[in-house]
Amino acid sequence: MNEVDRKLTVDCESLELTRGLKNVLREINCTFKPSELTAVIGPNGAGKSSLLQCIAGVLTPESGQITFDGEKAHKLPATQRARLGAYLPQSEMPAWSLSGANLVALGLLPWGRPRDRETRVRRAMAMVDAQAFADRPVTELSGGELRRVQLARLLVGQAPLLIADEPTAALDIRHQLQLMQNFRRLADMGKTVILALHDLNLAARFCDRVLLLQEGVLLAGGTPQAVFTPALIGEAYGVSCKFHWRDGIAEFVPLEVL
Amino acid sequence: MLQHNKLAIFALLAALPLALLVALASGPVSVDLVDAVSQGWYSQSSDAVIFWQLRLPRAILAILVGAALGMGGAAMQGMLRNPLAEPALLGVSSGAALAAVILLYYGAAWKSGWLLPAIAIAGAFGAVAAVWLLAGRGASAGRLVLAGVAINAFLSALIALALNYAPSMFAMQEVVFWLMGSLANRGWDQLLLALPFISVGVICLFLARNYLRALSLGEDTAASLGFHSRIFPLLILFGIASSVGAAVAVAGTIGFVGLVVPHLMRPLVHQDPAQLLWISGAAGALLLLMADILVINFVGAQELRIGAVTAFLGAPFFFWLIVSARRGQWL
Repeated sequence: MNEVDRKLTVDCESLELTRGLKNVLREINCTFKPSELTAVIGPNGAGKSSLLQCIAGVLTPESGQITFDGEKAHKLPATQRARLGAYLPQSEMPAWSLSGANLVALGLLPWGRPRDRETRVRRAMAMVDAQAFADRPVTELSGGELRRVQLARLLVGQAPLLIADEPTAALDIRHQLQLMQNFRRLADMGKTVILALHDLNLAARFCDRVLLLQEGVLLAGGTPQAVFTPALIGEAYGVSCKFHWRDGIAEFVPLEVL
Repeated sequence: MLQHNKLAIFALLAALPLALLVALASGPVSVDLVDAVSQGWYSQSSDAVIFWQLRLPRAILAILVGAALGMGGAAMQGMLRNPLAEPALLGVSSGAALAAVILLYYGAAWKSGWLLPAIAIAGAFGAVAAVWLLAGRGASAGRLVLAGVAINAFLSALIALALNYAPSMFAMQEVVFWLMGSLANRGWDQLLLALPFISVGVICLFLARNYLRALSLGEDTAASLGFHSRIFPLLILFGIASSVGAAVAVAGTIGFVGLVVPHLMRPLVHQDPAQLLWISGAAGALLLLMADILVINFVGAQELRIGAVTAFLGAPFFFWLIVSARRGQWL
């Protein structure tokens, strides 16, 4: 089946993950549906990245399982799984000074060397306003510029599942907005999008669903209106705060540390 | 820039057959090459014997060993994501060396032409296996290097011990010369022994080429792109042990080729770690062939060892590396 048009539902059933002595994920149950933009939020060390890495196939949970459309993800051939889900880690330093376009093309590795490679690379770079970096060595780009090239790498394969760990970090406001609009558009096109985010305003404005993690436990999951309450956020982050809602846009005001 | 790169690659590939011709024409005795070739393999004339039994296998061996070292270096740097890595870090060379030294120590090396290289290949595999076991399953690049350094240190200590208690000055001299690397007096025996191991190693590295590409973005991203983080590093380790192990086994330890060559070639292939494998193989072959031409034509009381030549080429390269890093122009 053509991955470009495929819709993918991801199910996590009682995921457990330990790293060293720490329970990073405990009894996580959640579903990610096509056309849904989900934000995974929570304080540092809550297990956001670990959850994303489990779904992307980078980490293997000790127990529980992840299914893609009912099929066990760990039973899928590695290449097949990579074609279904693309992942961008929180920090990804290129080891070599590849050109921007060559870095983006790495996102097509699960497909071998497709014939329309250059067109796809160019299109993906245009989506995140990164065409200007096609021929520049990535080691000479600024943090935000590099991030945009990496985002193009995430998008180039047109996988039905897109996972990005704090994609907006290091970006200026314009590119944060542009990026979130892009993810919104991709979700509207039928992609399943999962983002770890720290910016609660962006999460509230663009996402359909929010998962709130705290110390590896799924504290709450639901619409932004349901999760972004002073009580829940206060409990998870240990701060007092206020939310002002106006036309579906939240304004988050952190008050003080509890 | 693109044209410039292509031209350089073309020049490199064109230089290889030229260097081969020069190598075949070089030697203490002047040989009529055309005559020797036309007389054929079975001819007993001195020209034909020198060409077919001495010069040709030596030149081919230089190409094979150089290619294995260059490619092994490229794979190693790609796997560790570090431009300063080289195959010796995995203990390949010191493993082969220790096995060879033990054999030389007991004076058993000359019982047959292939005994020493065969034992040395086993030593190379043993050392890499020890590094892999010490680093543990699914080890990060950092832990592999650390394990490599530890195993290398231990093997070097054992080699030093063997030298310390060498039964005679003669045995010691033999060991030291072997450690300096040489292609002199190598024939078809060694070539045919090394060839399958180098071929298998090259195939392994070829199969891992896209993993090396994905690894440019780190281990996590490579895993998410569908490259199993347990299978592929093992494939590369095996490939390096096989190809570089066989190269060291027949030619002794020849340093710096695996370090310098990938470094110089990287800009030519736009830093692509997969294409770097091929171009480093070709450039390593050329470098070693030229170094051997230098060795053959060097007139002196003692044979000039090829390991000494490559070290002489490699050390200044390090100076240049440091100076360019100081200027902030990291290659």
